[in-house]
Amino acid sequence: MTESSTLVGLLETAAESPECGLRFVDRHEEVRKFAWPEILLRARRVAGGLQEAGVVRGDRVALIYPTCPEFFDAFFGILLTGAAPVPLYPPVRLGRLDEYAGRTAAMLMAVNARMVLADARVRRLLGPALERARPELGCRTTATLPTAMPTPVRVEADDLALVQFSSGTIVDPKPVALSHRAVVAQTRCLNSFWPDGDGVVHSGASWLPLYHDMGLIGCVFPALERGAALTLIPPEVFVARPAVWLRTISRFGSTVSPAPNFAYGLCVDKIRDEEMEGVDLGSWRVALNGAEPVAPQVLRGFQKRFGRWGFRPEALTPVYGLSEATLAVTFSDINRLFTSRRFDRDALADSGRAVEDPSGIEIVSVGRPLPGFVLRIVDDEDHDLEQGRVGRVLVRGPSMMEGYLGRPLATAEALHDGWLNTGDLGFVAGGELYITSRCKDVLILRGRNHSPVEVEYAVNEVEGVRTGCAAAASYLPEGADGEVLIVFVEAAAETSEVRYPGIADVVARVVRAAAGLDPDYVEVLPPGTLPRTSSGKIRRLEALRQWLGGELAPPAPMTPLRLAGAVLRSSLAMARSRRSRGG
Amino acid sequence: MSSTEGEILDGIAEVARAHLGWEGELRPGLRLVEDLELDSLKSLTLALEVENHFRVYLDQEAGIVTVGDLVQAIARHLDD
Repeated sequence: MTESSTLVGLLETAAESPECGLRFVDRHEEVRKFAWPEILLRARRVAGGLQEAGVVRGDRVALIYPTCPEFFDAFFGILLTGAAPVPLYPPVRLGRLDEYAGRTAAMLMAVNARMVLADARVRRLLGPALERARPELGCRTTATLPTAMPTPVRVEADDLALVQFSSGTIVDPKPVALSHRAVVAQTRCLNSFWPDGDGVVHSGASWLPLYHDMGLIGCVFPALERGAALTLIPPEVFVARPAVWLRTISRFGSTVSPAPNFAYGLCVDKIRDEEMEGVDLGSWRVALNGAEPVAPQVLRGFQKRFGRWGFRPEALTPVYGLSEATLAVTFSDINRLFTSRRFDRDALADSGRAVEDPSGIEIVSVGRPLPGFVLRIVDDEDHDLEQGRVGRVLVRGPSMMEGYLGRPLATAEALHDGWLNTGDLGFVAGGELYITSRCKDVLILRGRNHSPVEVEYAVNEVEGVRTGCAAAASYLPEGADGEVLIVFVEAAAETSEVRYPGIADVVARVVRAAAGLDPDYVEVLPPGTLPRTSSGKIRRLEALRQWLGGELAPPAPMTPLRLAGAVLRSSLAMARSRRSRGG
Repeated sequence: MSSTEGEILDGIAEVARAHLGWEGELRPGLRLVEDLELDSLKSLTLALEVENHFRVYLDQEAGIVTVGDLVQAIARHLDD
């Protein structure tokens, strides 16, 4: 039998495993199960309807669903027509919808979606986005598609399998186009890390959103490739009740379950002992930790807290990747405790050298390249650097994106001769990769990527802010549990410094409204303070570096509340700890 | 405001205290994002916990911007 090189082939093979499939856990922890053959059957019905409605091979079809079986009807249905699915996130349930509409419209237009498939409830909220984007074949639910037999379509490895956004944004959405070949290669790499054997048959559990690369590519595709079992929890259920995640792993004996750093911290902070009654985490072999910088004390805190319930400390596996490489690029050893080393702060910051120092800053290793992947660390002139020197991380491998859809210039900036410029800075020590700073163009907060441009664009309208003179950056402070967000703005000319705190307040409010992010710091600076390139573009990373070094302005917290500890913990966690102290 | 709405407001205040650490008074005019300072994680938490508290589903609601909107939405669902 030849190995499938498309997701369609993987689905057809999985449908030969009727005993496994997808389980859906709801907020009451009730379960619905769909076996792989049934999933294929349901997808075929949707494919027939899509074809009848006019969808053809090569189209892009957006899908907007919460975590539910209908997501897969739509997703696989689209694939069976030879079109590429574009999963977008559903609207939040509280707050403004205009921001959501703008963002969704921008993403629909960026991929030139021919049709949108949505859940009936989501569809009612999509009006303004659809009005702007005007997808040619409109917005349908799977139930309102015509009934028709699907016509088999030959899908090739080079066809687009998926378009994903590295960060959702109004201003500059970058649709990452992935071929079947790339997606399947990534999936096989992942599965090679947890082969079945020694009495272990792997199965997954995930609360990650299905529009998130780690949720879809990291959880669903490996299960699909093996015809294995995967249990899915809606992300909002996890956020409100993190214990449901751990209880689900225990209940189904799941072996593989990934999450970003913040999720492990949330579990430590929010889960009460009584919620863990009868839970046994011994089955959990692979607890991947990726998508945002890995904080060593969060890993240790999780190991310590949940060891009581059988959690294997070696299960925690820091990884590194990015959507442009489909998902993962490096992996730590699965059966080893995570590795961290301490490095001299000044040598790292001033000369970009990684010098081990027992009293230095602790950085977690994200492991070695996946099979078939190669890393390079280069300086600004693209010269290779030796081990222990900090530089830009380049990667090549079998799952690189085709490019940013419809964005040849952005693609040329990211991909050179097959080498992907990750935009991240790091170094190699002992053959393993250490990341010192994530991409300057992405804010990674609470497990999600956001574009700094979006934050900067939003604060432009604030009165007293000099137009176009804002910079947003995130970083992981030493000893902190997660990334913090800082927004720099320059005040408009002749604005009295007395007004700066008031401007900072408004900036924070605008950022919350526009991006759903709570800035940890807002720094209002006199005009002309922010570092710029020769062409006048603000240098975000340099601004951050100067600020951290106390050169830009003294790092002053926004409010006394923040001073109390929001920098060290997520504000959600803080609310919890204040509550528990209060009794 | 009717007594039912007053009770709903008290219920929301209870949820906000327990799950978001909100210690101030909760008034219908307060905006969720701007005044309660809810980021996306917190607003998800509030939505789900309010739903659990009142045993309603708000996923067909659009444009809940203020605490008062939330009260109204819950009142509509409780009437059903």
